[in-house]
Amino acid sequence: MRDVETRPKRYEWLIIAVIIFASLPLILGFALLVLSSFSKDMITNLSPESFRPTIENWVNVFQGKLAITGGIRQNILKITFNTLVVALGVSGIVTLISTLAGYSLSRMKFRGRKAMMLLLLVLHAFPGVALIVGVYLFYRLTFPQDPSLVRIYSFFYVVLARAALEIPMSVWLMKGFFDTIPWEFEWSGIIDGASRIKVWWKIMLPLIKPGILAVALFGFLAGWQDLIYVRTFLIDQTLATFIEANIEAEYSHMPLIAAAGTLYLLPTIIFFLTAQQLLLQGYSGGIKG
Amino acid sequence: MKGEKLRSLSFFLSPMIAMVGIFYLIPLVFTVYISFTKMRNWNTEKYLSEIVGLYNYQRLFHMFQHDPMIRAILLTTVVFVGITLLINVFGGLLLALGTFFINESSASSIRLLWLLPRMSPIAVYSLVWYYFFHGSDIGTLNSILLKLGLVSEPIPWGQITPWGVWSIIIFVNGLVGVSFGMIVFTSALNQIPKELVIAARVDGASAWQISKKILIPMLKWHFLYVLTWQFLSLLTTYPHLFLLVEWDLVNRDYGTTLALYVFNTAFGRGEQDQGLAAAAAVLLSIIGIMGGYVTLKVLQFERMIHEPRGDVE
Repeated sequence: MRDVETRPKRYEWLIIAVIIFASLPLILGFALLVLSSFSKDMITNLSPESFRPTIENWVNVFQGKLAITGGIRQNILKITFNTLVVALGVSGIVTLISTLAGYSLSRMKFRGRKAMMLLLLVLHAFPGVALIVGVYLFYRLTFPQDPSLVRIYSFFYVVLARAALEIPMSVWLMKGFFDTIPWEFEWSGIIDGASRIKVWWKIMLPLIKPGILAVALFGFLAGWQDLIYVRTFLIDQTLATFIEANIEAEYSHMPLIAAAGTLYLLPTIIFFLTAQQLLLQGYSGGIKG
Repeated sequence: MKGEKLRSLSFFLSPMIAMVGIFYLIPLVFTVYISFTKMRNWNTEKYLSEIVGLYNYQRLFHMFQHDPMIRAILLTTVVFVGITLLINVFGGLLLALGTFFINESSASSIRLLWLLPRMSPIAVYSLVWYYFFHGSDIGTLNSILLKLGLVSEPIPWGQITPWGVWSIIIFVNGLVGVSFGMIVFTSALNQIPKELVIAARVDGASAWQISKKILIPMLKWHFLYVLTWQFLSLLTTYPHLFLLVEWDLVNRDYGTTLALYVFNTAFGRGEQDQGLAAAAAVLLSIIGIMGGYVTLKVLQFERMIHEPRGDVE
């Protein structure tokens, strides 16, 4: 698609240099955070003398020591586990619902189909901040009476509420994936007398695996990185609320927080290295160029 | 056959309809309802059944006229949305065009790098800029300027109202939004027939001429799409600002947009006033709905939906 054969080479390095220069703050900011987690002192001031390599921050984070002195301890493994529960929950629900709904919007004629897709688009653009007040009231009104259930319920609710935010876009994305599958596969099933549900389960799902993977991955990232819903609904801490709470605390040892932040960034980095094409495609999801 | 179709339709669609009902439609009604009550500090027993009519809206309009904090917030919203939108749209366009003219592997790496702000956990992303713009000498920006000898002592950027604060929040959110435009424009550029570009090259056109005469005119529709969509996003976004304000990196009044004001009034520390927050949220939604309507008109939504063909009845 590009003008590879005919492109003059001399400007290429110039364009790259300009873009790299524009990207410098971004590269610098993230690099300094990650490097600081391996240093005795923060190196955000760019002084080489503050960089003294060590892994003690990481050791301390996993032992839950927040301050170098004093006995403040946090169970970071538990906090990471909480974050993972939310992320996997959101991912699972979003994937299931969008795989179901995306199929019928792509393949079945019914009255109200167009209106439904339009509604999804409108909901995706709808101000989340207007919803969250009502979503919280619903939470208050459905709160369990039994105190032993409260924490479980808060997990359950935050996963559902956060997943709901991702549903409009994921359904559109999934519909787009189903649209790419040739009709002949389906006809063969329907002519043999299989029901739509059976066709979806037996024929379509195996064909749509890359799409399912993409939606699951985006759902996971959405749940993993969430701050607002987690701090509003969830009783337990996740990595996001942990960082939020400890940045201002007097006793916090900054490189430790940098290590916690880097730990929190890990899934993003892993997806970056393994699923590049998926990410670049997925973010243009729902858009027909 | 009819019964079977209904069965399978409800199988496919009911989970989604349930989610949309419970987490969009009911909350929306709730939010509008709360805006007509005196709800404070989530005291549902006391205030939920106490309807006070347009009291919250009157208070809000009174504050618009007389409260310096709200005026700062409104001004911030206008400036923030306006300038960030320009950065998002044109930054995305420049990145898409720039990467169009370089080799594929460099282009992919650059695009991926610019997805980083969108994909990073918000807390980590905020942490990065917290250190970068920190007002003391550990702040990266300050130490660069100190080392270059441009300033003699560290400058508390986030406390300089209004432009110091605005620069930071626009910068931080601008980087997140640029990737959206970049992705949309890139996928559009990839669909332009290669022959056009090669023909122009053979005729001796420069990259600049190719961009101006061939590429940019073809992006008109996408340009409008990105513009309206980003406008809506920026109007209602608040997570990336939330921590910067909470951590006191930036001044509270000039670092808060209307969307963040709604959130902090409903869920922030100290005195919470959900009635007022809900009223502000309703106003924001009305602006959003108008914007959304324009978006749909611009997008010519009809073009995007094709009837499924050959459904076997």
